[in-house]
Amino acid sequence: MKYRPERLVIEKEVADSPLVKKILETLPGISVDWVDELKEDAGGESGSFLEIVKFRGRFIKPCPGTRFYNCCGYQILNLGIQCSLGCTYCILQAYFTSRNVRLFANLDDAIQQLTEHLDNSRRQIHRIGTGEFTDSLLLDPLIHLSENLVPLFAAQPNAILELKTKTAQVDLLENMDHRGHTIVAWSLNPPQVIAGEESGAAPLEARLEAAQRCQKWGYRVAFHFDPLLAYPGWQQGYQEVVDRLFSAVAPGGIAWISLGTLRFMPSLKTVIQQRYPNTSILDEEFIPGLDRKLRYFRDLRVEMYAHLNELLLGIHKDLCVYLCMESDDVWREALGFSPAERGGLSAMLDRRALS
Amino acid sequence: MAEKESYSIQLDEVDWNDATCLITYGPLPDKLTLSIQTVGLIQKPLLQRKRDGLLRIVCGSRRLAVCQQLGLEPFSCEILPTSILPETCLRMAIYDNIAQRDLNPVEKSLVLTKMAQHLDQAQLIQEFMPLLNLEPSTVLLSRYKKLLPLEESILDAIAGGALHQRIGFVLSPLQQGDRLAFFNFFQELPFSVSVQEELVETVVEIGRRDNLTPREVLDSAEVNDLRRAYKRSARQRVQEIRKQLLATRAPRLTARKERFDREVGELKLPAGVRLVPPPYFEGPRWSLECTFERGDELATRLRKLAELADQPEFKQIMESE
Repeated sequence: MKYRPERLVIEKEVADSPLVKKILETLPGISVDWVDELKEDAGGESGSFLEIVKFRGRFIKPCPGTRFYNCCGYQILNLGIQCSLGCTYCILQAYFTSRNVRLFANLDDAIQQLTEHLDNSRRQIHRIGTGEFTDSLLLDPLIHLSENLVPLFAAQPNAILELKTKTAQVDLLENMDHRGHTIVAWSLNPPQVIAGEESGAAPLEARLEAAQRCQKWGYRVAFHFDPLLAYPGWQQGYQEVVDRLFSAVAPGGIAWISLGTLRFMPSLKTVIQQRYPNTSILDEEFIPGLDRKLRYFRDLRVEMYAHLNELLLGIHKDLCVYLCMESDDVWREALGFSPAERGGLSAMLDRRALS
Repeated sequence: MAEKESYSIQLDEVDWNDATCLITYGPLPDKLTLSIQTVGLIQKPLLQRKRDGLLRIVCGSRRLAVCQQLGLEPFSCEILPTSILPETCLRMAIYDNIAQRDLNPVEKSLVLTKMAQHLDQAQLIQEFMPLLNLEPSTVLLSRYKKLLPLEESILDAIAGGALHQRIGFVLSPLQQGDRLAFFNFFQELPFSVSVQEELVETVVEIGRRDNLTPREVLDSAEVNDLRRAYKRSARQRVQEIRKQLLATRAPRLTARKERFDREVGELKLPAGVRLVPPPYFEGPRWSLECTFERGDELATRLRKLAELADQPEFKQIMESE
């Protein structure tokens, strides 16, 4: 489902930014409200407005992991917040009260902060993603952000950009000189889960076709089975996804595959119940984790991870499969080793990033 | 201040169905009846003359109700003119009541619901929630406004203190039959307020998962057997029902706990020693509690424990499956 806002609400200060010009060019005739400063929600029915503002904070930040579980050392390049795909489990529902997507138009400031950040730590490998607080490619057809980011990362010897998406909007990536510094990643779930819980996102087949095209254009791809959802028949459901995945993409071109079962802040539970009264994702039993997020009971998590790991490695033993936000004991039980045994999770992924 | 005049009125002049300014809820206090019976009406009720000639009660609805009950008439009242706005009359009723007593939760709900017709939400929260000793918040406002549509039996219990308003809040989104099933359940057994909240959530979630109504979950054979186990004390039944429902909601955790208890039992830990798993078996941190009276006793227990910790049975306890 392509994102098309009903109205733009734009801060006057960014009126001349290339991003605003591009949007107005790609959405001719759209209604625009010009405002001095947009602090609160601009209004609109269920996120129908696109807010474009000047961001005044830090664009680049470490992923908000916790000390209780193994974190992958990912960094976030925050160029916008919210998403219109409407996934029932989406954590952004608890992070942001407004359902409008908000874009930060001062891209020059973001790029300056990013290059300074990379220059200041040349020896470190940086894995940087734009898909933490929004979908990386949701707005790409409107704003052509990839045209700025992919060449920028291509010129960085120590950095990799990961574009995480549930869309199939990869057309703009076709002729870019990425030099292996951009990884395009998809979140995957069985078709029945996509139909019920990710109804605004691209179907599984479309995501895999998009991945196949990206591989053809020389990009490495990545996949995130996150959130893994337990439902009656989940074993067969994920088996089908894995089968379809490897009939579409070559395993040698996969940078990594992450696994993470459904987890969320307790405050999200009420939001999900109110917005999606018919969803069954809350039916499984949850326990408060060490980070206070609600998660599946440990035994089920181990069972799901072990099952997926076996399916994946059964197809290609050299795949880099990792767990997102799990403890050493769960790693050992599900995958047979802990990150520390391989130099730590961050180092494991760094090696894959530039290999 | 609105101008008012004193009149002697007959009871049939009062429009008993006009609840515009009515914010009292609950039975008539016995002492009020006794007072009026003994010394008559000391404080005059305040009413407003309506366009149809009848009188709307503004302040003193309970006093008037007692007069009606006792058949006392005529009696003297203060009468406001028709021109006074309904909002002003309602404010008089509210301020008069809060000056004399704490309102019960149903009355607070009445105040907020009725004033919401005259004020915007921000004003309502700012002026009236502190007045009612409530935290000024939109969430709490919305919860209080949802109390009024509840069934009379539930409202009576909330007003009388037999049911906490927090339970009214969690019951409000449910169907009538389910609400009443919970209400009867909570009247029957002495659950604490926090356990009542937990049980509503647990039962609703079991029902959603198993495609049953909450009432059907509460009426299940397992729960009913425990409810009717009259040989046990009410407190024991409460604990067992809670345990049963939590086990139904969380079968994996329950099975793990049962396995842990069984395996620890078989391990035969020394007396005074307790093995404590991580909360919810999440994370690597297990702990051991050991009570002792003398140093040699501690030494013996620790030696025995060191031997046990090397046994495969001990390691098995710490593994997930």
